[in-house]
Amino acid sequence: MGLKVPHTTNYLTEHFGDDGFVSLKGYEAQGGYEAARKALTRMQPEKLIELVKDSGLQGRGGAGFPTGLKWSFMPKDEDRPRFLVCNADESEPGSFKDRILLERGPHQLIEGILIAAWAVGAEKTFLYIRGEYSEPARVMQQAIAEAGESGYLGQGAMGTNFSHEVVLVRGGGAYICGEETGLLESLEGKKGQPRKKPPYPAEFGAFGMPTTVNNVETFCHVPHIVRRGAEWFRGIGTEKSPGTTIFGVSGHVVRPGLYELPLGTSLEQIVFGHAGGVPGGREIKGVIPGGMSMPILPAAELDVPMANESLRERQTMLGTGGIMVMDDTTCMVRVGCVIAHFFRDESCGQCTQCREGTGWMEKILNRIERGAGEEGDLEILLDVSAKMEGATICAFADAAAWPIQGLLRHFRDDFEMHLRHHRCPFHEGFRL
Amino acid sequence: MTVRITVDGAAYEVEEGRTLLQALDDLGVLMNGVEVPHYCWHPKLSIDGSCRLCQVEVEGVPKLQIACDTRVTDGMVVHTKSERVRKAREGVMELLLVNHPLDCPICDQAGECKLQDYAFEYGVQHSRSREPRRALEKRVELGPTIVLDQERCILCRRCVRFCREVPGTGELVVENRGDRSVIAAFPGAPLDNDYSMNVADICPVGALTTKDFRFKMRVWFLDELPGVCTGCSAGCNIHAGVANNRVYRYVPRRNDAVNETWICDAGRMSYREIGSASRIHHPQVRGADGRLTAAGLGDALAVAAARLRAAIEGGGAEAVAVLASPHATNEDLLALRRFLAALGAPPESAGVAVPTGASDDLLLREEKAANAFGARALGFGGADAVIERVRSGAARVLLALGHDILAPAHLRGDVSALALLDGVILLDTHRSALERIAHVVFPARHALEKLGTLTNAAGRVQRVQPVVEPAFAAWSEGEILLRLGEALALPGFEEPAAWDPHAVSKSLGEELPAFAGIDVDSVGHEGLPLRGESA
Repeated sequence: MGLKVPHTTNYLTEHFGDDGFVSLKGYEAQGGYEAARKALTRMQPEKLIELVKDSGLQGRGGAGFPTGLKWSFMPKDEDRPRFLVCNADESEPGSFKDRILLERGPHQLIEGILIAAWAVGAEKTFLYIRGEYSEPARVMQQAIAEAGESGYLGQGAMGTNFSHEVVLVRGGGAYICGEETGLLESLEGKKGQPRKKPPYPAEFGAFGMPTTVNNVETFCHVPHIVRRGAEWFRGIGTEKSPGTTIFGVSGHVVRPGLYELPLGTSLEQIVFGHAGGVPGGREIKGVIPGGMSMPILPAAELDVPMANESLRERQTMLGTGGIMVMDDTTCMVRVGCVIAHFFRDESCGQCTQCREGTGWMEKILNRIERGAGEEGDLEILLDVSAKMEGATICAFADAAAWPIQGLLRHFRDDFEMHLRHHRCPFHEGFRL
Repeated sequence: MTVRITVDGAAYEVEEGRTLLQALDDLGVLMNGVEVPHYCWHPKLSIDGSCRLCQVEVEGVPKLQIACDTRVTDGMVVHTKSERVRKAREGVMELLLVNHPLDCPICDQAGECKLQDYAFEYGVQHSRSREPRRALEKRVELGPTIVLDQERCILCRRCVRFCREVPGTGELVVENRGDRSVIAAFPGAPLDNDYSMNVADICPVGALTTKDFRFKMRVWFLDELPGVCTGCSAGCNIHAGVANNRVYRYVPRRNDAVNETWICDAGRMSYREIGSASRIHHPQVRGADGRLTAAGLGDALAVAAARLRAAIEGGGAEAVAVLASPHATNEDLLALRRFLAALGAPPESAGVAVPTGASDDLLLREEKAANAFGARALGFGGADAVIERVRSGAARVLLALGHDILAPAHLRGDVSALALLDGVILLDTHRSALERIAHVVFPARHALEKLGTLTNAAGRVQRVQPVVEPAFAAWSEGEILLRLGEALALPGFEEPAAWDPHAVSKSLGEELPAFAGIDVDSVGHEGLPLRGESA
């Protein structure tokens, strides 16, 4: 049975309804590995990096860093082994796009990895898969074996003298292992705690070797760029954010799911046009545009094009494209409690501001929700979140602070009602 | 290569490649003119960068930077006193205190607590938090020496890094994550190494305390007096914590040329020897009944002099076997050299026997005596020849300074070796097997009860000074020898002279070229290497 795809499809997910596409044969039937053949046999690594730079591809793991630029950071003329890491730790609440890319297009990912490996001269890729992703891990393991048997991976890939190996590693199940240096620590068998930077992974990465870490989806765009060119890629999406991405829509919508759409598609178009709007004729209250760590937008701002440059103007970011829709029955203080609890639980605990700030925020929010909020609480919340911003080893503290700031920016009334009435004014059905 | 940096308007030239905190520490101005408070950073441990307290403003860099992990660059301009920095520190301090139990009144660290100090200096004076504080274990035994209070811990992880990087034993970890993080030892593998108690010193708060010191004394009653550990020949620099004329603890005193910032547990615990019940409390003379009885110094000197005189009259200086103490100061030992010279015996005729024990590559030295190197530098010979002279009967009297010649390393309790002697004259600090058969016993001062110098295993001459005054009669070995020389009317000892360690120390350089320019008043608190030694 094919995957039922009510979703809009584009080049990444075009064949995901076809079960055969998962196999090497099915993938090859759709022109699979032709891009890798072209790259490895006809393109110098520098040319390839230039191509990816020209395409304007931005990392799809959340930060949106230019992929070609990241590749160019790998040191040249060095004897040390180089590694790639494919970050498949997808752990941002609201994000589930990488899972489908792993499950339905494993060879697309392997091809992207192979091309990237050629570009940066990596001998090995560690595919770090979120521990809970057992089915994606199974599919990938099988695809890696197939690609090896068919000569795409291993010694002398596709008749060239380039060799590449993909090693699948299962994560231990912590949000912070999705942060690239937290991932590297975990990969090395240590506790998942981000490293201070510099040195950056390109200089001192996995096992101390030059390493490039890219998200699953980022790799998946690469074969298409190689096949069809930078200009083609730039023709999709916005000028600054080219290409498509896979938006994961969840929450109060009629058709939750994954939608591959050009960057710059308006949030309104995604929520109403594709996901069918809010069920039961209710109104939208707010939408988190890019995974839980990104600040929420109110209903009035759904006109925003889903691209970093336009989202930044609204004080939020594209993140991982995980769109969470909340209707007018939603208590935004409860949303804050849920978010704060998650980040308190997941903070690795190294940096003072993050370790203590996440807990303090959660306690204040829970107290407000219980009806025991006091005057000054909101100012403390804003102040604590400000102190957490930009002051720690990794961006986790920012990710914990921003959504609370966003809730207070757009839904301060909800908080003040709690303070005024000493109880939660929303329905009783929901329990933390 | 050096680079120029400017910190708060003052220009400094610093070594390239250092981080800001390292550079300030190299210059000796960190927390001593340039105030950059810090918790996780320690000069002798790897950089952690997690407490985030040492943020400073670097011109041209938009975000505040942590000084512990920001490398100096030429022309770097740093501000440590700006409003932004002040606010950032205040923020970190507030967050560190949100869950801290604030149990200072019952906390051993109070008075030397960096959380107290920095909260006072850089924090706000009241807490905005109304939330319940984290409740954790208040008394976790991490091992035989250290107790952890999880609530007080600020998770700077110095202790974790110490165990991994200094003794290399790695017993400690951070268990759990986020605000549930606690310091812990692995199950079945307690914190138990030769340096374990250092974790209490480097703990900036009252989370780690030593079982030995906790609840014994409030630290503000302690005078922290500089000294040198006498546990072995490493000569680790210490502060002796003294109150009511009693030493309560040793803590390491930083000396990068000797012990950096560490001390071994055995050395740390050697403070107990000073106030030990087995100290020799007064001069004693063995009476006709064969029992040692207390005597005045004059009587003891007279008996000792009589024994020595009889021996010398019978067999000359050869008839006196002398053991030089590896525990005594260089000054005491110079006095012994002079005494021997007056007897007509060369210094090498006296022997040095050094107790030995476990050693390692870090601080522990095999020779368990603070001045073994110094004793040899002063020209004293080996102990074996001296023991042979005793055993053979060639020597009639044994004059032993600070030696238990019957100890396992030497005669293994074989009293028969001493059977041919007419007399044993002992100058020592503690009771011993030799004391039980000695004819005259003089109580000597411990190295930390007198002024002088000790030469460590690397040839570094270091100063000791009296940190306590013995509550009983005790003298420097040098002073007793001076009096003994007078009692014997030896040449050079005719005029009664006061024991003046300053003057004796000055003449070390005159009599021994290796000590040129080195004396108790010139070595300072960090010592100087003997001429010709690289230490």
